[in-house]
Amino acid sequence: MSILVGKNTKVICQGITGNQATFHIKRSLDYGTKVVGGITPGKGGEMHLGLPVFNTVREAVDATKANASVMFVPAPYVKGAMKEAVEAELDLVVCIADGVPIQDMLEIKAMLNGSKTKLIGPNTPGIITPGEARLGIFPENIHCPGKIGIISRSSTMTYEAVIETNRVNLGQSTVIGLGDDMIIGMDFIEAIERFQRDVDTSAIIMLGRLGGTFEEDAARYYKNLPVKKPIIGFVAGDAVPFGHKMGYAGDIITRGRISAQDKKDAMADAGIIVVNNINHIHRELEKLFNCCETSCKL
Amino acid sequence: MNIHEYQAKKILHKYGITIPKGGIAYTPNEAKRVASAVSFRGPWVLKAQIQSGARKSGYFLEAKAGRKGGVRMIKSRRDIIKNAEQMLGSTLVTMQTGPKGKQVGRIYVEAFNKVKKVFYAGLVIDRMLPALTLLVAETVDKDISDIAINEPEKILKIKLSLHENVAPKQIQQILEFLKLSPRSAKSLETFVNGLHQAFIENDATMIEINPVGVLSNGSLIALDAKISFDDNALYRHKDIKMLQDDYEENERELQAAKYRFSYSEFEGNIGCIVNGDGLAMAVMDILHAKGFGVACSLNVKGGVDKDKIASGIKIIMTNPKVEGILINILGGFLRCNLIADGIIAAASEVGLNVPLVVRFEGTNKDEAKEILKHSKLPIIIADEMEEAADALIKAVEESD
Repeated sequence: MSILVGKNTKVICQGITGNQATFHIKRSLDYGTKVVGGITPGKGGEMHLGLPVFNTVREAVDATKANASVMFVPAPYVKGAMKEAVEAELDLVVCIADGVPIQDMLEIKAMLNGSKTKLIGPNTPGIITPGEARLGIFPENIHCPGKIGIISRSSTMTYEAVIETNRVNLGQSTVIGLGDDMIIGMDFIEAIERFQRDVDTSAIIMLGRLGGTFEEDAARYYKNLPVKKPIIGFVAGDAVPFGHKMGYAGDIITRGRISAQDKKDAMADAGIIVVNNINHIHRELEKLFNCCETSCKL
Repeated sequence: MNIHEYQAKKILHKYGITIPKGGIAYTPNEAKRVASAVSFRGPWVLKAQIQSGARKSGYFLEAKAGRKGGVRMIKSRRDIIKNAEQMLGSTLVTMQTGPKGKQVGRIYVEAFNKVKKVFYAGLVIDRMLPALTLLVAETVDKDISDIAINEPEKILKIKLSLHENVAPKQIQQILEFLKLSPRSAKSLETFVNGLHQAFIENDATMIEINPVGVLSNGSLIALDAKISFDDNALYRHKDIKMLQDDYEENERELQAAKYRFSYSEFEGNIGCIVNGDGLAMAVMDILHAKGFGVACSLNVKGGVDKDKIASGIKIIMTNPKVEGILINILGGFLRCNLIADGIIAAASEVGLNVPLVVRFEGTNKDEAKEILKHSKLPIIIADEMEEAADALIKAVEESD
């Protein structure tokens, strides 16, 4: 078991013929991900990486019965590609691009509202269920199947947390990069909700960072859960000074400035185990689980 | 990207928002000429054009600039020349610029407008909702910065639609909240819809008018203006991109931006190269906890071009404040071997004069480590982030 993606997830790739898509889809196929086709407008009918290429998401879904998409289209085209994915009623879209304009994201959020499609990203390494499916750009060789769920608001910190779980042989159930941007699809709460229900996930690692109130919102949600799986949390940004700014509007929205420490306090208050150094996560995992059990081998 | 007040006002004027008559001046004589052109007689307002708020309560570093701040009310023509001479070329420090301040290269000369009342108006994206949000507040005797922190209930927040005009009901709500007379209703509608349209059409991320003035006939006038734009959307706004004032930006930041990397400078002595904002913060946190500060941090994001990466690394290597370099790369999209190649290319061009610790993880890390080992450069390779930080600190302390 795992959340959101697994060996039965049928994946299409939007923008499959591009360089980065080619490099990463090939790796995902080698990893065993069930990629069943791709979309590049104008190249419908061709084959790429041994997979059929379609002109539209709708055509691809009709032909392959795919239920998820990993999107490698450049930022200016993300809005249009998302519209297609939502209209084709995909369950899940993983958007890798960074630099999507903010107003485009506002429109994308409006599209997603009330649809059945869940978005991970943008600006994310994606989602991986080790040994089953890789949707994105994760360095798959550092992952191994196991029982820790990882949710992160920073691409590269995600890898750091994966390595921490490996240090104590616990492995990962599913790893989700929520995306580094300020407007993102899925947030901590939705991911925690799913990990809570997943029988194979025994504990969760949550990696936050300065900016927004995602961590505080998640802490409030977690605090009120009747049954809680343990969460180990980290927030980056303690040492970041508040730099030059323009105007006051940002402060009004965030009611003054929220520091990394404020976030950590809210998380600790909710019962989350907070570490101050990301490389200390394995120590907390060791305390939670018997150090000698082995559920994962690289 | 930010622009100057006078540029922001010009944009807003196109959307039907009333602004004072004014003109830009680069020299004292120009200032005097502009003053005569905008108003037959005083008072005038001289406004330093640096990209910062709180210019009025700011101060100049140079004694020759006098004691007054960056926004000055002037009654006589003679004083225009005198004050323009003081301000131009001097360095203005405000609570938003940091202690170094910013040099004033041009001033905006405006006709003074007598107003009955002022208020604050801001249009931003509340990213947590997420939605376009209008903020207004009366600012009779208090600064908006005070109100924001101490009396947030005195700020009205209204969610606006992305595509539709502001609803008449919302206009009425703003009118009542600000205790404006019904005579201002029409002007308020034009004003709010102007802000909204300017925001949407130009991919702004913030428009702030602090303050808006109410003239004796009830109509509104933008006495100040700030606009910030979404860097990621500039590709569809060539006209806005042209307004960028390179003088306002740090030279190294500009260089990094050219390669689509992000670069920031701080007060410490360690240079960091990472791929990811979160990782940049985590590295800073670790160094900070060990008593060391970061001088500059370069985020090469998902860079895939070896030459660009080398150019980015050079920005860090040539920063004179850097006494040691920590490179922490977790390859996914980015392949570690490209960073290794980039390090060697940069070092062979500008030399490697400070300790350098590298930590690679992820895509192609073994290949990358091999490349560095064969280079014969004095590079320390670490396996974990904390180990890398410790190794660098030791090397920097030894080289002192």
